[in-house]
Order: sequence, then C-alpha cells, then structure tokens
Amino acid sequence: MTQHGQRHRLLALCLATLLIASLITIFSVLPSFADQPKSKEKAKPLTLNQAKVLFVKHIKPLIDAKCMGCHGEDPKKIKGKYDMGSRTLMLKGGKSGDPAIVPFRPDKSPFYIAVTWKDADLEMPPKERNRLSSQQVKQVRQWIAAGAPFARASDIGIANANASSDSLTMKTSGGLSPSWTNRKYKKKDIWSYLPTSNPTVPYDALPPSAPKHPVDAFLRQRLRDAQLTAAPRADKLTLLRRATFNLTGLPPTHKQINTFLADKSPNAFEKLIDQLLASKHFGERMAQHYLDVTRYADTAGFSNDWERPNAWRYRDYVIRAFNNDKPYNRFILEQIAGDQLDPRNPEHKIALGFLRMGPWEHTGMSVAAVTRQIWLDDVTNSVGETFLAHGLRCAKCHDHKFDPVPTQDYYAVQAIFAATQFNDSRLPFLKSENTKGIVPLRANVARLQKIDAYKPIKDVKGDNSFMRLNKKRKGYLQRAFKRYQPFALSVKSQKPQQVHILKGGALESPGRPVSPGVLSVMSSIHPATVPASAPNRRLAFARWIASPKNTLTARVIANRIWQLHFGKGIVATANNFGAMGAKPTHPHLLDYLASYLIKNNWSLKKLHRHITTSQAYQRASHHPDSTRIARIDPDNNLLSYFRTRRLTAEEMRDAMLAVTTELNPRIGGPPIFPEINWEVALQPRHIMGSVAPAYIPSKTPALRNRRTIYAFRIRTLANPLLDVFNRPNADISCEQRDQTTVTTQVFALFNGQFTHDRALALADHIEKQADTSEQKVSRAFRLVYGRPPTQSQLNVALKHLQKMIVHHKTNPPVKTTIPTTVQREMVGEQSGEIIKWEEKLDLKNYQPDLKPWQVKPHTRALAELCLVLFNSSEFIYVY
Amino acid sequence: MNFHHTRRDLLYGLGATLGTVAFNSLLSSAANAAESAKSPSPLAPKKPHHKPKAKSCIFLYMAGGPSHIDTFDPKPALAKRHMREFVRKDKFASAMASGKRYFVKSPFKFKRAGKSGLPFCEHFRHLSTVADHLCIYRGCQAESINHPTANYHMNTGSRFGGEPAVGSWVSYGLGTENQNLPSFIVLPEVNYPQGGAACWSNGYLPAHYQGTPLRAKGSPILDLNPPKGVTKDQQRKNLDLLAQLEKQHQKTHPYNKDLAARLQSYELAFRMQANVPDIINLDKESAWTKALYGVGEPETDGFAKRCLLARKLIEQGIRFVQLYSGGWDSHDYIERSHAKRMRVVDKPIAGLITDLKNRGMLDDTLIIWCGEFGRTPDNGMRGGKKVGRDHNAKAMPMFFAGGGVNAGHAIGSTDELGEKAVDVAHPIRDLHVTILHLLGLNDNKLTYFHGGRFKQLSQIGGSVIKELIA
Repeated sequence: MTQHGQRHRLLALCLATLLIASLITIFSVLPSFADQPKSKEKAKPLTLNQAKVLFVKHIKPLIDAKCMGCHGEDPKKIKGKYDMGSRTLMLKGGKSGDPAIVPFRPDKSPFYIAVTWKDADLEMPPKERNRLSSQQVKQVRQWIAAGAPFARASDIGIANANASSDSLTMKTSGGLSPSWTNRKYKKKDIWSYLPTSNPTVPYDALPPSAPKHPVDAFLRQRLRDAQLTAAPRADKLTLLRRATFNLTGLPPTHKQINTFLADKSPNAFEKLIDQLLASKHFGERMAQHYLDVTRYADTAGFSNDWERPNAWRYRDYVIRAFNNDKPYNRFILEQIAGDQLDPRNPEHKIALGFLRMGPWEHTGMSVAAVTRQIWLDDVTNSVGETFLAHGLRCAKCHDHKFDPVPTQDYYAVQAIFAATQFNDSRLPFLKSENTKGIVPLRANVARLQKIDAYKPIKDVKGDNSFMRLNKKRKGYLQRAFKRYQPFALSVKSQKPQQVHILKGGALESPGRPVSPGVLSVMSSIHPATVPASAPNRRLAFARWIASPKNTLTARVIANRIWQLHFGKGIVATANNFGAMGAKPTHPHLLDYLASYLIKNNWSLKKLHRHITTSQAYQRASHHPDSTRIARIDPDNNLLSYFRTRRLTAEEMRDAMLAVTTELNPRIGGPPIFPEINWEVALQPRHIMGSVAPAYIPSKTPALRNRRTIYAFRIRTLANPLLDVFNRPNADISCEQRDQTTVTTQVFALFNGQFTHDRALALADHIEKQADTSEQKVSRAFRLVYGRPPTQSQLNVALKHLQKMIVHHKTNPPVKTTIPTTVQREMVGEQSGEIIKWEEKLDLKNYQPDLKPWQVKPHTRALAELCLVLFNSSEFIYVY
Repeated sequence: MNFHHTRRDLLYGLGATLGTVAFNSLLSSAANAAESAKSPSPLAPKKPHHKPKAKSCIFLYMAGGPSHIDTFDPKPALAKRHMREFVRKDKFASAMASGKRYFVKSPFKFKRAGKSGLPFCEHFRHLSTVADHLCIYRGCQAESINHPTANYHMNTGSRFGGEPAVGSWVSYGLGTENQNLPSFIVLPEVNYPQGGAACWSNGYLPAHYQGTPLRAKGSPILDLNPPKGVTKDQQRKNLDLLAQLEKQHQKTHPYNKDLAARLQSYELAFRMQANVPDIINLDKESAWTKALYGVGEPETDGFAKRCLLARKLIEQGIRFVQLYSGGWDSHDYIERSHAKRMRVVDKPIAGLITDLKNRGMLDDTLIIWCGEFGRTPDNGMRGGKKVGRDHNAKAMPMFFAGGGVNAGHAIGSTDELGEKAVDVAHPIRDLHVTILHLLGLNDNKLTYFHGGRFKQLSQIGGSVIKELIA
C-alpha cells in the first residue's frame, strides 16, 4: 500500500478522502454521549466464545470493509489518529484520547454510537451508501455487550473466517493491496463471471395446450412457483402495434393492419414477425438503441463542438449490420479491430468509428498528454460498458470497489489501445451506402463558403474579433463540406506507447508498466494472451470478447434485446452486470438465450424472432387478477402481463410523419436537418471565440422529413421536442430510455410548431380522401390509432369539429414568415464591449411545410382534432 | 439492505434515504407506478438533512473566468515584476501557458470598504457599499483550464458533460415551494455559455430536476405559447376534447398509472401559460427598485433585469436560480475588458443584495458569485502590445452573501503573485459540499444510484469549508 501515500491528492481513493473533518467531530462530541440514558438491553448477552465467533465471522470483515480504509490499512492515511487494527488500539481510541470501545457498554462506546447513525454529527461510515444494515448494527452491539473480544479464526477452530458457503475469492491479476486481492465476493454478486449454465428447458411448467416454447417454459416455471397465472393474449391490433413499434419504431400501416387482422391462420403472428425482421426499418430501430449505448453524435462536444463530418458512415454501418443480420461476434470484431481483421475491407474502417464515439476535443488550451489520456480512458470504459456491461472507469484510480476488476486490468485493457491513433483518411463511398443527392448538397456548402454571411453591425475598434469570427465560420463550413466527401472517422495502429498504472488515476504519477491484457477474473475459464505487437492487440482483445467462452458477451447482448421487447432487461441494469448491478430475474432464461444466440451463429434476428414469438411477448398489458399481482409481483418481474411503454422521442416524431404520409423512408446517407423550434435553431451556440453558424433545416420537406436517426446530432444544441421526451444526452452511455412525464412535454407537443404542422398535414391528407365530416373524423382515428372511433368518440369529435369550423371561418390564420437573418452579439475579448453582427441565413429555395394560410378553414378545423389525437395517450403509449 | 418503509415514506419522509429510493425506482418498472401515482409530485418540498442556513440559492455565474488579481485579491508584488519576461516549459502545460511569458500587474486601483475593510477593485464601486455582507473566498481551485470542461466541473462536479448540475441536485434533495413553476431556473444571456445547456442539465437525475432556462429573448420558456393566431378559447376547447378522450382511455387502461399525471401536466401547462408572463413582468416594480439594480442604464440594463427577476423568482418560492454573465475571458486588454465586465455586474449585484436585505430575504438566500476558473498573474502576449491574462485553475475569485455565510471576511489566500491558492485551499467538490451544507443537505446522503454506483455531486465525497460559514 505504499503507493497510497503518493497518490495525487485530487484523485485519492474514494472512501479515504473525506473523513478527517468528520472524525474530528466524532471525538469532540464524545463527552455528551457519556450522559445519554442507556437503551434497554433485551437480548441475552453472548458467551465469550459466541462473541469471538461473531467477531471472526462478521465484525472483523465489517471493520475491514468499511473502516480500515481510513482507520488502519495505510498508516499514512489514518484519520483522526484512530487506528482500528487491534483491540488495544480501539480501546485506546483516537485524537480525543477517549476509548472507541467501552467493553460491555455499547451505549458508551463511540464506535457503536457512530454506526447507529442516530446523531447527525457522529455518523460512521460517513457515506450513506456504506452505512451498516440494522443487522450489522445489532451485531456490533452484541459484540461490545459481550466484552468486544478480538480473535483469530484459528483460535476458535474456524479454518477460514470467510469460508462461508456464500462467499468466495476471485482470482485476478491482483490488486494494489493483498486485502483487495484476497477479498471475498458473495456468489450472487459474481454470477456474470461464471460460465453459462446449460439449463434444461422446464417444459413441464407449460400448460398442456401451450406451444412448447422454451422462453415460455422458463417464464411459466417462475409464475407457477409464485402461484400466479399469466394474462390472456392481447387483441390482434394491440399485438400488431406492439410488434411493429418494437421491431421497426414505426406504426403499422393501413395495409399492414388490414392484412394482419384478416389473416386467421395460426401462424399469422410469426409471419408478421418475419416481415418486420425483413423490413429495412428494423435496422434503424435497433441502431437507435445501439447508438444510445455507444453515444453517437455528429459533433465532438466541448469548446468548439466541431462537426465529425463522416460519423454518419458509422451510423449507417450499424444500421446495415442489423439489417443484414451480421453475426454479433463479427460485429464486435469489426468495430474494435476491423482493420486488423481484414485491412482490405473498407467497411471495416468505417466500423472502427465505434472507438471514436465519445466526446473529445483538443484545443490550444489543452495539454496533449491529457487529451490523449481522456480518449484512452473513454475508449476503455466504453468497450467495457458496451460489450461486457462493465463500465471499467471505476477501476481507473483504484481497484474496483465492488467487482473483481483490479486497476491492473483497467490499464491492461487500456494498453490494448495504446497503439491506436485517430485516422480520418479518404475512403471511397461504398455501394451499400446511400449517397443520393450528395452532389448538390456539397455544392451548396461550397457556395456558402464563398459568401460573406457575417455583416458587422457594431464593430469595436481595435478588437479584431471579426477576423476570428470569419475564420471560425470557415472552419465550420470546411467540416460541413467534408460531410459530403468520402472520408472515414476511423483509427489506425502505430507504435504503441507504454501504458503505466496511473496512481490515483493521475497522469503525473505513472506507476508500474502494464502489458496489454483482458479482464483477469475470467482467466481460469477464458484466458487470452494479447501480443505486444501493435497491429494485433485490438484483434486479440476483440476475439476474447467475441468468444462463446466469454461469460459476459452473449449474456449482455441477449439481455439488451430482451429489454427492447419487454421494457426491462432480465438484468435491469443493461450496462452493469457487476455487483452493483441488478441481479437477473431469470438467470436460467438469460443463460438459455445466450446459448441460443451462440448456437445460432450469433444471429440477432433469430434471437429477436425467438423472443417475440413467445406467448409471453403476446400477453395483454393488463392482468385480470391485478390485485393479486400487485401484492405478489408488483414490479412485474415475472412477466405475468406485458409492460406498457411510452413511445421514445424518435418514435413519436417518426410516427407522426408516417401517419401524415410525409415520412421519406429512405435509408442512410449524410445527416439531415429537421425543422426544430426556430428559436432554438437560431439560439446562438457560444463556441470558442465565436458563435457557431445558425442551424438551418434541410431545404425541402422530402429531405428533412426523414427518420430521426438521420437527424444531425449536435451535442450542444438541444432538439426540445426530442429532449423533453427523454432522448438521452449523447455524452454518457444510455442503457435504457427514461419515461418521465414533465410539463415541458406539453409545451413541445401541444404548442410546438412540429405537431401543429403534422396535424395540418394530416388534416390536408384526410380532406383529399374523405367527403363527409363523419368520414373525416373516422379516418383521423384510423390513421392515428389504427382503429375507427367508438360511437361516443365520434360524437364528441364531430361536435368539436363543428365548433372549430365556426371558429376558423371567423378567425383567419396569422401568417408568419421565417427569418432570413439573425443578429448576433458577443463580448469582444479584447475590449469587453459588445460587438454585433448580422448572419444571413441560407434559406435560398427553402420550401416550408404546409401552413394554415394555405388551406381552407375546414382543413384547419380538422387539424385541431388531429392535434388532439397526436397529444392523446392512445397514440403515445404502446400496450 | 432492509427496508421497512414504503417507497413513499422513503422518498418524501426521510430525506436521508433518497439514494436508496433512486435505486429502487431504477429497478422497478412502470408497473410500480401505482404507488408513485399516489405520491406527491417529485418536486414537492422535502425535509432537508439538517437545519438549513438558507432556503434558496442565487448562483451568479461569470462565464469566461474572471481574474482574482483584478477583482478581490490585489497583488502588489506583481508591480515590481511587471513585464518581466520568463519562459515556462512544462510537459503538462497547454500551448496557451507555455513558452515566453510576462508578468502583468493589475491595471486597477483597490479600495478597502466597509467595517470589514475588504479590498475591492475600483470598478466594484457599488459592490463595495455592501462589503460587510460579502464573504470573499480565495481558496477555491478548479482542475481544468478549458472553458467547457471547467464550466461542467463548476456546475456539475464533473469535467465531462452529462452529469446533474448543482441546481438539479438541490431540487432533487429539497423539492420546491412553488408547484406551478420549475424548481431550478436559469437566466442565461442570449448566448449560452460554452458547453451549452449541459451546464444546467439534470444528467442522470429524473427530468423534473433539470434547469429550465428563462430565455433572455423570445419566448421565456420554449413553446410556452402555441403558434401565432391560436386563441386561448381554441386551446381550451382542444384541451377539453383531449381530457374527454383521456378519461375514456383511462377507463379502458386503468393499469397505466402515468395517464393521470399526463393529464395533470396539460392543465399545469395551461396555467403556466397564464402565470409565467406575470411572474417575469418587471413593470410592476417601483422605479426606485429598478434604479437600485441599474435597470434602464445602458451598461447594466441586461444583467440588472436578470438580477431583479432572480429576486422575483426567489419570492415565488423557486429553489435555485442561476444567472450567467459572460465575456470574462480577457486574454488581452485586461484593463479595458475586465473594467467593462465589472461595471456590467457591479450595480445589479449590489442592488440585488440590498433589495434582498431590505425585504428581509437575504438571510434565507444564499448568493454565490464565481466563474469557472481564475486568471494567471502572467501572460503570453498574444499579438503584441496588449496586456491580458490566461486561464488559471489554481486560483480564482469567489464571494458569497446571505444565509449562513461568514460575511465581512476574506477567507483563504493565494501566493504572493496570485498564481495559486495556498491557504484554505479546496477543490471544487468541497465548494459543492459547502453549498449543499448551507442549504441543509449532506452531500454524502444526497445520492442517486446510476451506472453501478451511488453517485453524488462531489463525485467522491468532500468536506465542508468551515471557514466560509458564520
């Protein structure tokens, strides 16, 4: 533990940092506790021998785990001069001079008082999350009441203090201290490092009449054990909507509805699933989730938020991979080591974009060694999080607090990437890539580069800011130009730099050198030797991940796919399979699915099909015996019914465009620019030394009304419509979308221009197809909900329509125009004075969407109904 | 972990166990909403961990990095070395800080003010009149010298975007007194600071706790109003139809517990549409009050209005208000540009403190003034004759006023040249722990389970800077 003392003070070991102040407090308040009344002793005191056993089995491990970090482990780090390394030392106490333990008198023992957390000034351990359980507090009390004896395991005839059946040591490459290396893990916390069991499918759990589906057998077994029944099958329309959204992120079309409802064959649903898996939109939906995990954006973040002009090629690679059902093990290899796998395959260079997904920037204010380290840390963590559900960052500054991941392993994985450098070289477009329309888009940027779009309004003499503004604008446009050119966001291998363990995570304190390696905890089951040669490091590492022997890989992806369909993973924390993650609700099922995936050549489509054709996937979203369910399985972990979910932000936007028939369903290509709230579009984005050029939507509805996954993703510019509906921040990996209900959603959906435009487009579409008011209303319901209105709904909607017709006949719409310029201002760095300029917006040949003043009052009136339907829960939720 | 309480008790009864609840809610599903639907709103006022010194907070953020040497921390020793040249070679120095450097003395005069005799730059003429209400702190140290990362660090405790801001943590811990408005309101300039809206992000905390910017131009809250031409009556009718459809839908989907909350949010939005313009309307303020802040004066008008609005929001029970004033990045011409920046905020802030004092609100309000880092005593002389200062993470200016702060004192100190804090020096995490402490929250207890661990504002824990507290 000598390294401890040298650690960089700002990044010191988590637990060890904050105790000084608190400890001083403990001892300064001691006297007041001496006067406290004794609490009633109810429990019979333990015998001396019982107390020794208690100490060995429970008290000592507890002191080691929760106290020694600051009170004994490292003599240099002892807080409050209080060492808990021996009984004598505990009796001596700390700085105050009073003993920490008064044998036989727990209520007079500061040690006991501290762990009860009864007094705000005397709480130990100080962090809420380390607090002792009530059971542990009781044990401390019993132990002190029996005289607080210390003992060694051998003294009382226990071979190994921690050799209880539910805990074991995990062999790793070793921690910074022997106590970490030899520490015990509870079996339930290390399940994910154990090989996949080969469970027998419990078909006997299925009702005799039920199809013999293994997924159902596993689920039914648990339901049977809990004496719960399963909900009946959902109605066909609900099923259709559920499967279509889950597999493609889009609502079923009118034709799909008619076909599916008319298909009375027993395998109608299987046929539907096959159709959906074959849809080109399947890949888009899967990619959206995958890109949430990998943090895709079209810009780099931080000061300049520079564009990553060719990131879109990686996005399309991911979509293609899912659509072509690229075996998942292959998908991993290509993204981590595509260049080393087959240097001639151009697609592999694009796949490597994965390693570049995190926010990253280097400017004149950055230190090169620091920004390089930031990337290394980012990629190390991201690889672990994405493929192994182990965010490795926790092991950067110290051995992992909860998982058997020593800091040695963190730097071993980091060394995998020590030879990896950024590469943005030329790479001709592939046949499989969508480059349609790229030429005119590129020409437009070239035109803008020649235009002087910033006109000074108020310049300040002697402040040369305008020169800088124009330079910045050019830098932005250069990158925009490159967006339409054949380059790839990729990496290459060069001479590796030597990686060292960084003490306390500090770059300034390199410790011992580390060779490239893998997670050593798996070494007995699935060892791997990583060659030191630069060109093979990543490939060896990727092969270790993408192996059936890796206990994490297949489970992790099977769980992500399960989560997509059931709204919650078998492991609820899809990015964390470690001790602090959730435990699998159905471990055998998870293992079964992982094996199924591997047996089927890592085909994700087969796994999707297997899961979605289960009875469980087709259950109603409501259980007839909800009272009993609420009591026995309130979180629906046993899946007796199907979980309702809200549409994700992207699905909501895409579904509205699909319903109005405005959606351009083209797959792939350079990013598009949807219309967003104009105030946000023109909101100045303060970048280093300037304001970024304004956000300008793509010029035609066909170009911009494409699926949201193709929308240019700017890290520092919100899209309010999407963000209020829980689109995640692109800077951190998102394992699962939230579904919060907040008021700003109402502003976006009920007041926002986007929904108003869609409502009008839908009304216009209906007006062209239906004659009577009744037909129109009915059609609106069919298009938005996929079903006709009920009689009462028809009545209220008709009444509403009539009122609105009256309103619109007497209230002509207010015509608004799109601004053509925007005024910018910023504080001149050299003068402190405001400088102002005008930016001319590139709206040449801009075609707005349909607007109220272009249609008749009847259409506007019908649009009000459409607006309400788009806001209604039947549209927003998937049952 | 043993729980003998219901989720609701944990969440709203015992502030101390917020972290565990977060863990529960993470692992539970939408189906568990049955219980949460019965619970009060996530923004309902919650009990603090201990008796708070202040109930609400106004965070005055000077984006760009104000210089300590030219504001509250005079360094006469620099005068002797003015324009003396030296070279810095350091593997861990940025391009900006390397190479040929020159020491730069402050171009400003300092005056001592108040009974406390605290030193103020001559351009803080008004602020010096409330000297005895200020607690100046010279010990805070940042880690990054890059604007966005430093902004993230000061605002969220992490140098990388994506984590919850101080205001989000405070809202999560305490809720808010006004259920009709967001708990955490940001008053940015037209230009957002570097790093953008991630500076007031809720990060991984639920969306209820995100900072809501009241925009300086245009609609104060985005889409607060429908597109032009849509009348109130028309909207009401649509809302009524929506309510009818929703109620039918609720009947057929009684197990979807989000539906009630959703419908409520529509009603609340409709009310906000009516209330917000009133709340942000400064017209009803007296001419005297406006003059106190400097409203109407060309130099101070913009920031003065935001300071006045901050007071009104605090009056309305908003928990946390953050104001931005940018332009402090004076690499050159420190005399001209810093003088200007000081004059822009001087009167408005002095006005705010005086106004809060007069209304008896100062003791319940914590005011914080700082930027993302300080500036260097030396300069790289970019392009010739101008004198400025570069970024400095090791020392920065800061002051506090209001609830529970050690007013009338300057705490901590920097070295002779102002290069780094040497006395009562603390990292940003300790500042965060102290802010939470003053507001009645314990950083170690204010945790949220995310990404495999209980996260907290200070990241790894920190200590209260006791010297700052009265």
